[in-house]
Amino acid sequence: MVSYSKLALFLIPVVVLFLLDVNSAFAQESSKQYMSARIEIWALFYRLMVVAFVIGAVVMGTITWVVWRFRESHPKNKGSITPSRSEGAHH
Amino acid sequence: MGHATIEWVYVGVVIAVLVYVGADAWNVEKMLTDAPPEAKVIKVTGQQWFWTFEHEDGTQEIGELHLVKGVPYRFEVTSRDVIHSFNTPDFAMMIDAVPGRINTIWFAPDQSGQFLIQCREYCGFSHYQMRAKLFVEEPTTSGGKVTNASADLTPSIGATAAAS
Amino acid sequence: MWEILFSTHHTDIGLLYIYLSTTAFIIGGALAIGIRSELFLPGNQGIIPDSNTFHRIFTVHGTNMLFFWLIPFASGIGNYLIPIMVRYKDMAWPKLNAVAFWMLPVSMALVWLGFADTTWNAYPPYSIIRAPGPAAEMWIFGLKIAGISSVLGAINFVVTILKMKHPDLPLMKTPLFVWATLVTSLMIIVAMPTFAAALIMLYTDRLGISGFFNPAMGGDPIAYQHLFWFTFHPEVYIFLIPAVGTAYELIPKFSRKPIFSYGSGVIAFVMLAIVGFASWAHHMYATGMSFTEKTVFMVGTLAAVPASAMHIFNWIATMWGGRIKFAAPMAFTVGGIVLFFFAGAGGIVNTAMPLDFLTHDSYWVVGHMHLFLMGMITFGFIGFLYYMFPLITGRMYNERAAMIQFWLMFVGVSMIFLTQHVLGLYGQPRRTFDYIPVQPLIILNQISTVGAWITAAGAAVFIANLIKSTVSGKPANMEDPFKLGEQYYDYARREPHH
Repeated sequence: MVSYSKLALFLIPVVVLFLLDVNSAFAQESSKQYMSARIEIWALFYRLMVVAFVIGAVVMGTITWVVWRFRESHPKNKGSITPSRSEGAHH
Repeated sequence: MGHATIEWVYVGVVIAVLVYVGADAWNVEKMLTDAPPEAKVIKVTGQQWFWTFEHEDGTQEIGELHLVKGVPYRFEVTSRDVIHSFNTPDFAMMIDAVPGRINTIWFAPDQSGQFLIQCREYCGFSHYQMRAKLFVEEPTTSGGKVTNASADLTPSIGATAAAS
Repeated sequence: MWEILFSTHHTDIGLLYIYLSTTAFIIGGALAIGIRSELFLPGNQGIIPDSNTFHRIFTVHGTNMLFFWLIPFASGIGNYLIPIMVRYKDMAWPKLNAVAFWMLPVSMALVWLGFADTTWNAYPPYSIIRAPGPAAEMWIFGLKIAGISSVLGAINFVVTILKMKHPDLPLMKTPLFVWATLVTSLMIIVAMPTFAAALIMLYTDRLGISGFFNPAMGGDPIAYQHLFWFTFHPEVYIFLIPAVGTAYELIPKFSRKPIFSYGSGVIAFVMLAIVGFASWAHHMYATGMSFTEKTVFMVGTLAAVPASAMHIFNWIATMWGGRIKFAAPMAFTVGGIVLFFFAGAGGIVNTAMPLDFLTHDSYWVVGHMHLFLMGMITFGFIGFLYYMFPLITGRMYNERAAMIQFWLMFVGVSMIFLTQHVLGLYGQPRRTFDYIPVQPLIILNQISTVGAWITAAGAAVFIANLIKSTVSGKPANMEDPFKLGEQYYDYARREPHH
């Protein structure tokens, strides 16, 4: 049975676009002032940095945990010697 | 591949993040692209290794540029010899000065004081000191008082630099 | 000695490539240490006498690292391993292989003796009307020869993989390193001719007999940038993909687990090779491109990201549940992946169009691309050189020294290049001999420079380890030198002289 739940992922960009639209609609309200490039650009920068650091924390955390948990010398790895594959297994 | 599902979910999340980044960037760029029609034109010319500015009324400045806070300016940037890049870090503005082309960029200064203009594209011997001073003055209606408002978002190295 | 120099056997050519590229890495690195030491304090420190010398140094540093370290090293390990992996006795055309290698010392001599000041991308009109000769001419011809060499090498790899592969071995059963080399070679063949043409035009422009890029003669300097980046954005992936291939070679072995998904590795390689050609002008946002053009290239750039993300996923998933041996090759590979993530995240920020005003031609870019080149690629290559050390020498390197080197380099490289991102945000332009004497520029430059010295210490340990272990290292157990429980490469290959 093919799962269609993955299709829900496409909702994420749609929702994001919708939110952005709402944002810019509010931004237009103060029309007398000129757009300040430096404020808009730095705001975008910090938004992306929030995204980047959240993802970075997840990825770095995962790598650190994998490296720590599955290292050869980890107590849980001591007893059970997992059978190593033979040379041709992935070839 | 039984383990495909988790990878698909992962790729979906990556694509969603990328779409967000692209859409947000597109949105901001679109807001900033077009100069307002009433913007004052300033002709900027780079050459080895200094900047020349020409105001709408024909006055020329070399190595210094005086602007008024809150007024939109459109910079028409070109070069006489090699490629330079007109950059004011405090206002997050930069565009290449290419000989034979006129590139435009605009902004309305929203802080007054002394700032740095520098060349950001390698242009030879004195590239590293091809700088100019940007003075942003308060509009005369408020008494012409210069408040060196420190940047709330931008790390400002401009003021000290221009003074040195 | 002489039999290696005149040999056409693939392991001999591979060894020559590795000698040449490791030498280039060290002498190019020395230039970088000079640059960083000069920038330790604002003002002229006297380490580099003047700005012109400084410009020549960073030009040769960049050209040298890209064309005489990264590309030849990838050719070197490819030469060793591709014939073994596709089960053929040698490369398809051994003599062509030797010719391709021997063009490199010539080209390297031209670049180093010329010592041009054009920057490694040699944008006209500077490179036409201002850059002093004969340095610029020597640079042009040096790169021309290096380009031909890499195209010849690439053709040889493609033919070896596709035509000389053992008939019983389907392409989908070859190691992912073979795929990496195949994809890289195809990309070289497609990408390189554009730059080769641009170099000829640059040369005739310098002679004054044409004006392709000279605005004074009706030419367009931006056209050069398009030609240049059409070659060199794909070239970024040409540098990167061999290191991705070595990671695929090492991670399953040192995790003692099969690759999580071979298929997605192949898909990611092919995707990257195709999409990599759709993003070149993101290097040119500041040249006055229209909103539409910028949008197209931003989308093209973002489209290349999922492939890299799939690789990272594949690596982590392969390590998950394994029993990982952190010998130096694995340590360098995983360290490289960490830095690869930072580089990739910074790259996504770069491609967001408005942020180009902040990052373009600033130290941010220097930090960003060095995290790829020094982080992922160089770390991957150093790790792989340690892995191949028993195959090359029959001896074992000193593991302790190699791990000391790893930590020195990992800390050093992070200090240099993560700091440079912040420097860029403060507006320090790249390619500058000096900077404004204000904080925080001074302290950030100093952190970066100290990082460079730490990295240099790591490089010194590296070279000492290589030399000492080659001469007097312990003889390696050639069946399984890293005690991973599986067969090592076919070491009988390295003794062709009989």
